Parts: sequence; structure tokens; C-alpha cells
Amino acid sequence: MIRLQNVSWRRERKNGTPVLSGLSFSVPQGGFRWLLGPSGAGKTSLLSLLHVESLPTDGSMDILNKSVTADAPRATLMRLRQRIGMVHQNYRLMPDLSVADNVALPLRLQHRPEDEITDEVHAILKWVGLGERVNVRASRLSGGEQQRTAIARAIVHRPGLVLADEPTNALEETQAHKLLDLFGELSSMGTTVIVATHNEALIRRLPQPSLYLERGRLVREGD
Amino acid sequence: MALPFSGRKDGLSLSEALPDRSLFILVAMMSFLAALTLTGATGARALSARWAGGAAQLLTIQVSAPDQPAPATATSPQKTAAGSSSVTSTSAQTRADAVLARLSDLPPGTQVHRLSKEELAHLLTPWLGDASNSALPLPAVIEVRLPKGAEPPADLEQTLNTQVPGTFVEHNAEWSTRLRALADSLLACAALALATVGGIAAMITGLATRTGLSTRRDIIEILHGLGATDSYIAGRFAGRTGGLALGGAILGTLLAIAPLVFLFRMAAPFAVSSLQTTSMTMPDWRSLPDMLPHDLLIGLAGLPFVAAFIGWMTTQIMVRIWLRRMP
Repeated sequence: MIRLQNVSWRRERKNGTPVLSGLSFSVPQGGFRWLLGPSGAGKTSLLSLLHVESLPTDGSMDILNKSVTADAPRATLMRLRQRIGMVHQNYRLMPDLSVADNVALPLRLQHRPEDEITDEVHAILKWVGLGERVNVRASRLSGGEQQRTAIARAIVHRPGLVLADEPTNALEETQAHKLLDLFGELSSMGTTVIVATHNEALIRRLPQPSLYLERGRLVREGD
Repeated sequence: MALPFSGRKDGLSLSEALPDRSLFILVAMMSFLAALTLTGATGARALSARWAGGAAQLLTIQVSAPDQPAPATATSPQKTAAGSSSVTSTSAQTRADAVLARLSDLPPGTQVHRLSKEELAHLLTPWLGDASNSALPLPAVIEVRLPKGAEPPADLEQTLNTQVPGTFVEHNAEWSTRLRALADSLLACAALALATVGGIAAMITGLATRTGLSTRRDIIEILHGLGATDSYIAGRFAGRTGGLALGGAILGTLLAIAPLVFLFRMAAPFAVSSLQTTSMTMPDWRSLPDMLPHDLLIGLAGLPFVAAFIGWMTTQIMVRIWLRRMP
């Protein structure tokens, strides 16, 4: 469950121009939302807010039923972040680590047993089509392979919330459709999914409610 | 099916971010200095304690012509075996015996010992060579050890001189007070030096940590984005610096032990507590481990762990402060 009530966010806490202002919406557990809007509308900022990388300067925000406030203990916020899978536009992979080690990171941070990590990582990499590339350094992957690695890393630990910022940019159409099917499947299994995109074809393929942002404000919500 | 993981578990690659050579060697050097300083401090503390206790309570009395008969005026209260006192003429007594008899007036618990001819000869060996067959007239030397807190009578020398002229009383407290002040100053200097060495070690660790953090900023941001807590990241860095500091300190302490043992062997003849045990010969190497003070051995054994703790704690603080700026 995600719930925002009159949330605003400024880069500078005092006297800064709000990047996001007056956002109020909720997404139930297992819900799917497209996050739409022109470039500079605040989609990435909203995803950062939902990923607890930034905190609301005004209003109240609940993520996965946890209240997120500016004075929340950092350890609490980090533990909450461990329950969120994030796919960044620029992938944010560890260039010196292998594909397998990159994908294993969220599980290792949760101190899962190594044999369990091995099974989970192997399964997810096979699913995203990187079963033969497990031991390749991330810096040697193509853009599409890096994106698939980032997606595998975002979902390998079965997070309660998956956030994706233009996740299909570097993917071929087949892979993009496959990814979309995965997001749909995750949503039906109870994971809340929010995907920011400009890709109209994707939206048509998976008709789901959307949040439409303009100049940091939510101007439209619904189908 | 096992995956061929690269072995770099979280991408921090701390062996590259915090290279072992620089920190390890610097901590080894700091520990070497700390071990030497610790030894100095232990020595100063031991001397201070000795001069505060043992040496300050010591009187040395010289009686010239000790075997000559005492003047007829020399009388003294003699304690009988039953403990009662009686005043006896000591015209048949020697001068040394008269002084010894007079010293029985000192507070209960006082130990009085007249050095034997052999002990006296041994004491004078550095100046006279073999003094046992010397034709020189040697005085009797009487060592008086007062109980703790007791003061000798202020007129002791005068009284003894009246009864046995030519008796000389040397009260060690007169010079031990100054030496004790000197030892205390040395102890304070040593403590300051230890604190400085610890501070420099903390600064070195802090600088190395800051450099390591700067080179790994991107990686830390990714880990943070995945939910790595401040404790996790600080723990990883602190584990590395703590380990390096421990290894460096063990090396530095071991290297310091060789000169320390040598110094202790040189100083051993001077570390005597009584005139009777004075020895001018250096002890055998094999007996040295028994001679080293236990508190010094404990201090040296603890030094690597203190260094490791300083490294670990400094890094924990540095990393946590640095991470506060992260989203």
C-alpha cells in the first residue's frame, strides 16, 4: 500500500522551489500504475521519493504501510528501501562485479544463505535471458544486457514495491514485452508496481491506471 | 547449480580502496613508538613507586672506626628477649654495636641490617676493586628500613653523633622526593607521548578512510540505493582498517621488543631495591623474561588491540559522518 497526502518536495528544504507539490494518491497492495508526463514533469523525482532517496518536505507519505517522515531513523528507512526494487534509467550496476554478483547484492544485504542466493540468482538470470552471461563483468555488457541485469537485481528479492524509470529504453521489443508480462505477473502476485515511461505501445499492451504529472503536480489519475 | 561468483561480494573492493601497504606500515611505526614510550612510562612509574615507597623509607648510616670501643657515655636502652627495656653501660660495646643498640628505639617494624664485610666489599667493588682485602679503614654501613609512613626522629643523627661521634646518617627521602618528582614528570611526558601517538594513528586512519570513501563514492551510492545500512558500510570499512591496524601494530610491537629487551638487560643492575642486592653484572639473557615487569608485558600484549580499536572506532565515526550527507 502506498499513500501520499498533499506531499511536496523541494531540493532545498527551506525556500526552494517545489519540484513536486500537493501530490495526493494511493496505490493498493498489488496495484499497477503507469507514471506518465512530459520530460521534466517530476516523474524521476517522484520515483526517488517513493524509493525513500529523498523525503517529503511537506505532507505525509506511507510506503508499504510504513510512515516515511524526515525525522525517521536512517536504519528504518534503509530497511524499508531493502523491500523496494528500483530500476534506474542509468542502471546503476557495479562495473567491476559480475552479472551474478550484481544481481545477488539485494539478497546479500539481507544476509540470505549463499545456496539460496545462488538458486535465486540463477533462476532470475535465466528468466531475463542472461543465463549464459552470469560471470561476465557488468562493464562488458551491452546496454540491453545491463538493463536486464538491473531489472533482475530489482526483483530478485521479491520486493513489496517495484519502481521502474523507463525500464524498456534499451530493450528490444520482444524483451520489452516479456518485461511487461513480468511486471503484470508481479502485480497479480501482490507486488505494487509503478513504471515511468513514454512508451505508448507498452501502455496499450498493458492497460492499467496511470498517474499523469505536469510541472510537479498530479493533473490526472485513472484509466 | 553453483554460480561462478567473482568473489567480490559487494563491490566495495576495500583491498583497493584501503591499500594494505600505507596504513599497515604507518600503524606499525606508530606502534613501535608506542611500545617504546610504554616501556619508558612503565619504568618511570616503577621508579616513582619505588622512590615513593621503599627508597624514601631508607636510612643509610655510616659508622667510622666501627670496631673501636664505644665511648663510655654511649648507653642505650637494650630490649631483652621478654621485651622489657633496661639501660646498660656499653663500655665493652664497639661503636657499631652502640649505634645498632641505639637504633632499637626506632618505631616498631623497623628493619635494621648491618652490611657484612662481604656485602660492603661487593658494594665498593666498582670503586675499589676487590675491597675484601683492602687495607683501607672501612666504615660500618647500616641499612635502616622504616615502616611505611613512619618518620625517623629529627634528631637521630645528632643523638647518634653525641653518643658515637663520627656517625653519619643519610636519609634517602631528601633526594628521593626530587627524584620522585622527576619520575612523575617523565610519567606525564610518557602519557602525553602515548596520547599523541594514539591521536596521530587516529588521524592517519581517518585520512586513509576518507580517501577510501572518496574513491568508492559511486559504489556506496549504489549500495545505499539497495538498502545497505550505515552500519553495514561503516562495518565493512572499519573491519578493514581495524584488521590492518591490528596487523601493523603486532609487527610494530614485535619489532620494538628486541631493543626493549636489550635496554632492560642494560638497566637491570640499577633496578635494585636494596644495598644488599646491588649487582654490577648484567643478567643472563634467559632470565630476562622473568625480569620484565608484568604490567609492561600486559601493556605490550594489549597494544595491538588498542591500535585495532582506535582504527576501528575512527573509521566507524568517519564513515557514519560521511554517510550522513548521502540520501
